[in-house]
Amino acid sequence: MKIPRWSFITFFLILAVAVIGPMSLSKGPQETVAKPFAPPVWSGGDAPPPFSGNLSPASKEMTIEWDWDAPENLTLRGQLAYDKEVTARLVWTTPEGSKYTLSSFQGSGVWSIDLDARDMTFKTALGIPPFAGATSLLFPSRGLHVLSLEGPSPSEGSLELVLPGGRWGLLGTDQRGRDVLSLFIVGIRVSLLVGISATLIASLLGLSIGLASGYLGGVADNLIMRVVDVLLSIPILPILMVLVGIWGKGLWQLVLILGLFSWMGTARTVRSLALSLRESCYVENLRSIGAGSWYILYRHLLPEAMPVVLAAVSLGVPGAILAEAGLSFLGLSDPRIISWGRMLHEAHGFGAFTAGAWWLIIPPGLGISIICLVFLDMGRSIEEMADPRLRGGGKS
Amino acid sequence: MRSYWSRRALGAVAVLLLVIAANFFLFRIMPGDAVSTIVDPRFSPEAKERLRELFGLDLPLYRQFLIYVRRMLTFDLGISFLSQRPVWEELKSRIPNTVALLGSALLLSSALGTWLGVKAARRRGGLTEKLVLVSGSVSFSFPSFFVQLVLLLLFAYTFPVFPLRGSVSIPLPESAFARALDYLWHLLLPAGSLVILGFGSWAIYVRNLMVKTLGEDFILLARAKGLPEGRILWNHAFRSALPPVLTIFLLALPGIVSGAVITETVFSLHGVGKYLLDSIMGHDYPAAGAAFYILGLLTIVSNLAADAAYALADPRIRVGRRIQR
Repeated sequence: MKIPRWSFITFFLILAVAVIGPMSLSKGPQETVAKPFAPPVWSGGDAPPPFSGNLSPASKEMTIEWDWDAPENLTLRGQLAYDKEVTARLVWTTPEGSKYTLSSFQGSGVWSIDLDARDMTFKTALGIPPFAGATSLLFPSRGLHVLSLEGPSPSEGSLELVLPGGRWGLLGTDQRGRDVLSLFIVGIRVSLLVGISATLIASLLGLSIGLASGYLGGVADNLIMRVVDVLLSIPILPILMVLVGIWGKGLWQLVLILGLFSWMGTARTVRSLALSLRESCYVENLRSIGAGSWYILYRHLLPEAMPVVLAAVSLGVPGAILAEAGLSFLGLSDPRIISWGRMLHEAHGFGAFTAGAWWLIIPPGLGISIICLVFLDMGRSIEEMADPRLRGGGKS
Repeated sequence: MRSYWSRRALGAVAVLLLVIAANFFLFRIMPGDAVSTIVDPRFSPEAKERLRELFGLDLPLYRQFLIYVRRMLTFDLGISFLSQRPVWEELKSRIPNTVALLGSALLLSSALGTWLGVKAARRRGGLTEKLVLVSGSVSFSFPSFFVQLVLLLLFAYTFPVFPLRGSVSIPLPESAFARALDYLWHLLLPAGSLVILGFGSWAIYVRNLMVKTLGEDFILLARAKGLPEGRILWNHAFRSALPPVLTIFLLALPGIVSGAVITETVFSLHGVGKYLLDSIMGHDYPAAGAAFYILGLLTIVSNLAADAAYALADPRIRVGRRIQR
């Protein structure tokens, strides 16, 4: 069996990530997970990695080996259930041996715990002023810290302790402390959606205009080709910018606008094909046996033009993706929709440079480039399938 | 000769009219009162009345269009909503910056691309050829702003040799020489990035043309005559491949103008493209329309310049026969 080209395999991989990826994320991409501009876990120098651990009826004690400065924050959330009357306390032990009671409980039933080191009540319970940092009290030095549950074992439930680190995830965080990896995965969808649907609109337009122009010929052909020439000789991006600025920044407006301004290339190719087919013997024969224009266009010219259009779709997608990314990069996109271009816009506009946050720039940029390369290669191989003369040599 | 020029001029006029018409209608299809795209509600009643009169807003649409065309052709571009000053005053200082960026990027990338393309065609399979092929396909698929952001990160943040933003230093240096040097220093990274992004596709195109040309009989004849290799390459082969190269120059122009808008945004240059973006973001419609018009005008002018170069390079036009393309 022949192995399909790398680009087809990569395309299906990207498609799979775009569909499955967002579902597999445990948290929404807009959620703040760590401090802003936290570098990726694997690159971050002396900043502490994020930590999380659980207390449950089975393990009533948790030790935390902390080798860094005090973390930014500490949260402890969860519920413990008791079926009899108890007195229980959550105790924090520092490496020096000083003990702090984080929370206590008396009675029976469910003990709900929702602690945040930034809370006033938490600070007053520890006996420190509301403007002091609670974590520097709980983490006075490096070493072993212990969180233990004193009292009888609860019947069920669990507690989760979370220490946000100075490093986060595979790709760090952005200026709002969001996980860049989730943003990156969610962003694939916009690129694919806008790229493919805009190109589909453009190719349909190009196909019908090209067929009409080539088959009708004469004045109509002349007029259409002049329009194409003129449209090809003015810079498109400023027009797109003005249109987006006027019509609004929604996703579907963008798709429509991109589609309306990128049919010219396909129209040209299809037109030259239709022009040569119109003069060919078999079309002349068809006409001589009384076939109508619509019949010839629909049953004969359209199937002939299909491979060309398919290649045009694949070759046109990079253009649409780049245009979408460009417009989003310029800030002309819906700020609520996460896309790779938008990520680059925010990186450029909100201080990624002063933070040296390369992880905000490299992943979306490379993502765009890789998708474009994949579609270019798919387009070329579709072209080769449609036109065997291109096969073989490989090099032009 | 005359037919070539009259057709080119006609084409330029058609594009100009289309740009003006696009401008006119784009800003009038907006929801709400058309007047609101020209007259800011915050203007004083006297100013509103004057603008109404100037733009003939009470006249029928076709009269309005004629007035609009005349205003555009005389660079009377309206009053900015944001700064409340004539738009032309604001654009005037920006045009030289955009022209400098576009001009240097175009000339340098085409020169470098052509030179590398010719070299690659002469030594098939060599290092130059590989470089040309790789850089060409990279420039097709890497978004320009991504490459520029990476360059900015590298050369303005990690190794701070170039400025992070702007067209000139603030405050301006004292002497004229230092000022020119400062301007070049600010221009180098934006223009350089456009060259890096642009030369690859040139080089590929020139290489393909040259490979074809070098296989022709007249090159064999030149070799048989014992002419030096450099002369065959440049005077014979490249000379005959020049007209199609100029055609590509023409086709590439609109894309390069689009690229300039993005480049000016990335490097925060004081140019027309950045002004267009800022105006669109601030809903400053007269300013956005004017910036769009100026960009269109720049494209048309450079189109005509490329046409002139084509006419000089193609003997069929210079001598006066009809051109076949």
